[in-house]
Amino acid sequence: MGRKILTVDDSKTIRMIVAKAFKTFDCEVLEGSNGVEGLAVATREKPDVIVLDFTMPIMDGYEMLAKLKSDPDLKSIPVIMLTAEAGREQVLKIAKLGVRDYLIKPFKEEVIIERVSRVIDLKPRGEAVAKIRNFDDEIQLLIVDDKPAIIDQVRNGLADTKWKVDGANAPGQAMDFCGHTLPDVILASLTLPDNGGYSLFQTLRGGVKTKSLPIFGLTVKTDTDQQSKAQQSGFTGVITKPIEFEDLKTKICRTLNLDTSLRYFLQKDGALVMTLPADFSQGVANEVAMYLANKITLAVDAGIDKMVMDLSQLKKADITLIKLGLSTIQMCHELSIKYSMIGSEAVCQECKNYEETKDWRLVMSYQEAMSQLGVKLQVAA
Amino acid sequence: MIEVMEELVKGAVSEVFGTMLSIKTKPDKSLTLISNGDPHIASSVGFIGDVTGVVFIYSTDSFARLITSRMLGLRTSEAIGEELVNDSMGELGNMVVGHIKSRLCDRGMPCVLTIPSIVRGSQFSIEAAASATRMVIGFRCDAAEQVAIEVLIKPTDGPQP
Repeated sequence: MGRKILTVDDSKTIRMIVAKAFKTFDCEVLEGSNGVEGLAVATREKPDVIVLDFTMPIMDGYEMLAKLKSDPDLKSIPVIMLTAEAGREQVLKIAKLGVRDYLIKPFKEEVIIERVSRVIDLKPRGEAVAKIRNFDDEIQLLIVDDKPAIIDQVRNGLADTKWKVDGANAPGQAMDFCGHTLPDVILASLTLPDNGGYSLFQTLRGGVKTKSLPIFGLTVKTDTDQQSKAQQSGFTGVITKPIEFEDLKTKICRTLNLDTSLRYFLQKDGALVMTLPADFSQGVANEVAMYLANKITLAVDAGIDKMVMDLSQLKKADITLIKLGLSTIQMCHELSIKYSMIGSEAVCQECKNYEETKDWRLVMSYQEAMSQLGVKLQVAA
Repeated sequence: MIEVMEELVKGAVSEVFGTMLSIKTKPDKSLTLISNGDPHIASSVGFIGDVTGVVFIYSTDSFARLITSRMLGLRTSEAIGEELVNDSMGELGNMVVGHIKSRLCDRGMPCVLTIPSIVRGSQFSIEAAASATRMVIGFRCDAAEQVAIEVLIKPTDGPQP
């Protein structure tokens, strides 16, 4: 559950600045425009921390703080005072009031985040919502490499996704980028000058907003020293060059807990269609198998009793494919689901050679598969 | 006193505009109050104590909107209501004068601040009592914009620097 931060300030501007500062964190920012409102919200919501202004109409910060400290239910809530008045006398007065910390206006957004994070554990909002994100959602990647060709290569390699790829050619530029846009994942070259990739990693791990950001090291396949150094330093993982993009996608999906089932499953024409990609591998098979039972159950629940297995993109039939096919067929039998299979010529031919698959009745098109299931599709004019 | 105040105003404007708006300011004595007929806005905050006076921050309405969007991280194309601009300019005044007040307190001249107030219009000027000391400093803001700070100080019997 997210944390609650209460900002009490007569200036809407300050309340908006505080709310904006914590927008990217898994927390709710509550507001009060004076001490009376602040006390009412504090009593009702029991916030985890209060950011309190001094000078306010109706009830000022001093009085609100005194009332908080005299209420057994509220006295333990940490209070950070926010004031435009920073004279020595004022600071001493603040210290005597029993506040946890104080902040002088003007202040940078990072400073208020840092002060609040000393009091409560702030988690990026992304961590809380990552589980419900899909592969098809826009994922923001930042590639930090001094070679523009690598950034272009990643951009092109992920062009078939909706992911957004930005580049930075130096750690400073990457930090500037993170200052205004928090990426979902960073790929940082491990061979930047002056150990730039490692120093960027350390700086990001030290930042409140970026401490949980997945950061992959990027290095050539043969540079095993860099790879083990990155693992020991705590990088989320290592991506080797030349980059294998399916491997990269899989790693990012796993790291961000993305729901990738849409890559393989969809409901169409009253049937559940399972499509295996051209780059079918053991990893893909594991991923599909992980979703299979749930997808079939959901389809049955929605009144669907037909399934199409589309293997037409595959160039061969191997033991991994056969195992997955057999377990899918078994599930269809158990739930009385009619199924049909589409294959490429190569897959059709190879399946005839195996005892387990010689009876598979593969067809060559989606129309034929649906027809096999008793569904006549209207042909577009 | 006026020399001290000039130094404090320059420091406060530089600090507040730099931190909250990422705007570099440069004092420019050739700049005066805005009087070209364009809509403009004046944010004022008073200080009362061993030193008593009031500080006005003048800007054009369009620059005040830019200040508001910068402070709140809004796009300049977003519709920003007059009330929000007033609040942001008031808070900006509060920060500038709060900064000055803190330095005055540290120099043994304690005072308290008034709440900010806003004046809007196309043609207006602030008249001060004849006994008040008046000072105006113009600031270039990132070269293209400008603000003017007017300080009125009432003579008191309190300690002087």
